[in-house]
Amino acid sequence: MAKKNRVAIVGVGYSDVSRGSGLTLDKLTAQSSVAAMDDAGIKPTDIDGVVVHSFPHQFVSSTHTAAMLGIPDIAFYSGNVDGAAYSVAAMHAIAAIASGSAETVLTLRTVHKAGAAGGAAMLGPQRGIPGNMQFGMPYGSFTGSHWAGMYMQRHMAMYGSTEEDFGAFAIAQRKFAVANPTESFFHEELTMEDYLNSRYIAKPLHLLDCDYPVDSSSALIFTTEERARDMKQKPVFFDSWANGTTAEADFSLVRDMTHSSPWMAAKRMWSRTDLKPSDVHTAGLYDGFSFIAMQWLEALGFCGEGESGAFVRSGATSATGSLPTNTDGGACNVGRRHGANFFIEVTRQLRGTAGDRALPNKPQVGVVSNAVGGFAACALLTAE
Amino acid sequence: MTTEVLPPLPLPNELTAAFWDGANQGQLVIQRCNACGHFQHAPEPICSNCLSFDLGYAAVSGKGSVYTFCIPTQAFHPWFEDKLPFVLAVVELDEQPGLKMITNIVETNPDDVKVGDRVEVTFTPLGEGFTLPVFRPAAQ
Repeated sequence: MAKKNRVAIVGVGYSDVSRGSGLTLDKLTAQSSVAAMDDAGIKPTDIDGVVVHSFPHQFVSSTHTAAMLGIPDIAFYSGNVDGAAYSVAAMHAIAAIASGSAETVLTLRTVHKAGAAGGAAMLGPQRGIPGNMQFGMPYGSFTGSHWAGMYMQRHMAMYGSTEEDFGAFAIAQRKFAVANPTESFFHEELTMEDYLNSRYIAKPLHLLDCDYPVDSSSALIFTTEERARDMKQKPVFFDSWANGTTAEADFSLVRDMTHSSPWMAAKRMWSRTDLKPSDVHTAGLYDGFSFIAMQWLEALGFCGEGESGAFVRSGATSATGSLPTNTDGGACNVGRRHGANFFIEVTRQLRGTAGDRALPNKPQVGVVSNAVGGFAACALLTAE
Repeated sequence: MTTEVLPPLPLPNELTAAFWDGANQGQLVIQRCNACGHFQHAPEPICSNCLSFDLGYAAVSGKGSVYTFCIPTQAFHPWFEDKLPFVLAVVELDEQPGLKMITNIVETNPDDVKVGDRVEVTFTPLGEGFTLPVFRPAAQ
């Protein structure tokens, strides 16, 4: 990637995070924004761009956010309900800064637990399911766990992977979660028996394959390299980034479930950089469901096709492995931040501010990823 | 008086009505482009293969293979409470590579279903005047 117009992450922050917090989406958004500004050491008037991503029924707009924070005039704003969750906000902010459309952009992902799993709750009071959902819901397809179970099954059929392979991922990242007690909702290591005994939601998908719905808002502030040098924290830079999609909009109907959008995004990202998988020291891979992180390991080329189970079982994703992954414990443990926590945790590791969780390999290069199925995104971050 | 539990019902529109009308006639009806013959499901206002707006519908054989499936054990809608466990599947239809639909596999033990199984369409009443195309293991 060109070394001019580099975009840096300079501030990160979370709202209060809990289940059924009683906090409004607006308040959560304001909390995380203030936390990120404090982290960066900047004031609202230093911000000239705001980008948000949220579910359509949980939307707090960029312009309303700017108004709440007392930002008088913004040069760039976008509000997104489509696509790969937090990463959409990140991609828009990067594009804005790299193009010179804005200089310092606040990005946000705010989500409420209730209704975030989709399902019948998403239907309005009308009788009858409109649009393309009418071809799924009458059959019992309501929520992410339904396509997730199907994606797992396809991987198992294609590659002979087993539930134990997916369990190995849940176990590996729970180890990191136990070392992150202030953010993790879970504090005990998992055994394979715990994983296999956790109830099925949509067999072969277990409860412990799923992220943990919470009320949360996550904020990251990006700026130019030049401005980043004046801010409080050591900047972390985007080396390369990419979106990728499939031709099909419905996740259940993608052409190739084991090679869905992460493969498109990864190929595009690697084509834009001189870095290679072997240069990467740590990863934050979306774990809305454990199979998603496993597909990313394969798509990004950290292991061969179908080999993510063996890779994880080897200990490669542990703190002392070749690719410590989801070092905050992942969304399965810290709660659904819908992608933002991977960017934040990898940033902390590259800054060297992960405290007790600081990785022994002193990472300088990290990869982050978001989503699967119809749309996905990934990016490489560097400490310098 | 108990409240009747209604199934999740489709709201047919100008694009989707042919599928539901066909099901009521015991036929699996899929949108097909009149210009190039490309099948699409779910139906859309334009052909994604040739960009024609001249789209029609065709009855297909109802034969296909299980692309993938899962077995829900938790109901996300009251209608499914007494139907657990059931098989939620994606079936790839013989007519065109990649032509797939979400459906259920019936007339089988859920644990016997395998990716790759050959299946054939059958129809089950959904209620309120609707019929649901589902699939059962193909006759050998």
